[in-house]
Amino acid sequence: MMQSDTPHIQTPQSNPKASPIVSAQNLSMVFQTGTVALKDANLEIAQGEFISLIGPSGCGKTTLLRLLADLIKPTAGTIQIGGKNPEEARKSRAYGYIFQAPTLMEWRTVFANVMLPLEVMNFPQAERKARAEKMLALVGLEKFAKNYPWQLSGGMQQRVSIARALAFDPQLLFMDEPFGALDEITRENLNLELLRLWRETGKTIIFVTHSIPEAVFLSTRIVVMTPRPGKIETVIPVNLPQPRTFDTRETAEFFSIATDVREALRKGHGYEVTE
Amino acid sequence: MTRISVNLVPMLVVAVIALALYWPLMYLANIPAAQRALDTGAALPCKTAVECATQLRSPVLPSPEQLWRGFGNLMFPLYSPNAISINAAVTALETIVGLLLAAIVGFFFAIGIVASRAFERSLLPWIVASQTVPIIAIAPMLVVLLGQYGVQGWIPKAIIAAYIAFFPIAIGVAKGLRSPDPLSLDLMKTYNASHWQTYLKLRFPASVPYLFTAFKVAMAAALIGAIVAEISTISFHGIGKMLAENSRASDVVAMWVIMISSAVLGILLVALVNWVERLATPWRRAKPANKPVVGKPGMPQKRGVG
Repeated sequence: MMQSDTPHIQTPQSNPKASPIVSAQNLSMVFQTGTVALKDANLEIAQGEFISLIGPSGCGKTTLLRLLADLIKPTAGTIQIGGKNPEEARKSRAYGYIFQAPTLMEWRTVFANVMLPLEVMNFPQAERKARAEKMLALVGLEKFAKNYPWQLSGGMQQRVSIARALAFDPQLLFMDEPFGALDEITRENLNLELLRLWRETGKTIIFVTHSIPEAVFLSTRIVVMTPRPGKIETVIPVNLPQPRTFDTRETAEFFSIATDVREALRKGHGYEVTE
Repeated sequence: MTRISVNLVPMLVVAVIALALYWPLMYLANIPAAQRALDTGAALPCKTAVECATQLRSPVLPSPEQLWRGFGNLMFPLYSPNAISINAAVTALETIVGLLLAAIVGFFFAIGIVASRAFERSLLPWIVASQTVPIIAIAPMLVVLLGQYGVQGWIPKAIIAAYIAFFPIAIGVAKGLRSPDPLSLDLMKTYNASHWQTYLKLRFPASVPYLFTAFKVAMAAALIGAIVAEISTISFHGIGKMLAENSRASDVVAMWVIMISSAVLGILLVALVNWVERLATPWRRAKPANKPVVGKPGMPQKRGVG
């Protein structure tokens, strides 16, 4: 069982290149059906980065995220999360995972939902409440603490699930198309909010998306993935200045990077429709 | 209060329609019997078959007035051992205790079914088989068996009620325990939650709505079980005992009154489950004060995903 102190991954802040928080080598995943979901993926992520995995359906981006999170085991290759293997990292609660659906418990109030991981991890009662209050304030939902999830909009529900993932203060956040089911306007608002959270908390975020503008807007680097077999096509750095605002989307650099991503997807046949 | 009256109005409309249909049917059924009674010269306080149709001692279908009078006779005095009230209370007790017993047993079976394939494969066919044995055949034997160990009175009836009520509960709760979606289970895995924590925080709460749906089915089954048990064994109290007595005495009107009363008892018991369900699942209640909230400015409304 966990103690009250939260698991931290000790990575020297001074020289992130020296010891990456996430490192995957020659990672492959073949499902029992014979589908090659991921082939020979290599990826190193430094502390504090915001990495997007982008690509069409079937390119293995969710598979890669689930492998890193130890929700499935790779058929080949090695993964290191803060110097540990994924299972150790999961057991030491090294990361928070945000799913495409908010996966809130309908019988719990918003506040109780945010407290869920803290209960599972046996935080002391007083600290649970203090942290849940802080996290709800961070995502701007403190007024809705007593509401039930169904009383909230889809975007608000997803913000609750982000607050829940942040509640136990993991250094790493895995986000699997968290805004994929939301409308464009809500999504752009939440993108801004997510960037603010990322700046304020200094977390490392790995973010799966199908949306090129979303990836360019959010990321420090974009991992472009292509299907059949799922593989990493290329990694594109995004040097847009921080903090990014709504106006960032109108700049020439933004469009130029978006074009690079599109080109990379086309090169890897990411635009072919075969399904 | 408004909620009750909202439910009551459609119910009463159906009752009025049923009564309107019952009336001609009752005449149709009773006139030949009344004609025969007049032909044989029975002492009846009426002259014509139509008149006598509502006053037969053993009608094919009792008239509403006869039912009303019969109801008055069987209802009062309230504490008489032959009154419906006290007997219905005993049957209700047997039913509720049976349901609670069934809930305990059904819950453990449900956990077994969900936790272990071997348990499901080896025991489920036998459980199904146990439910296909006619309760009317098994009830007297269970009473004899339990009597050997000094278990008598209303308790064997509660056990028989539990015997047929536990099956819907076990199946319903098993379905509820399996209801969490894969993502929620993944979520618990990312927290490194133990099996027990996954049950406590996810599977048990998720099964509560299923539990109450099962309770409604099981409550009706338990009531039938209790009544059948009372009929088919030696009983001193209960709706079943009244049915058996009046059946022996060929009191058709009383039989109808008791049948209607047991139907009312069934409605009340299921209403009790509904009431407890409302208390136990506050998140499903849409209170006026808890209307869906309006999003913040710049945060467009959108209903939940999936």
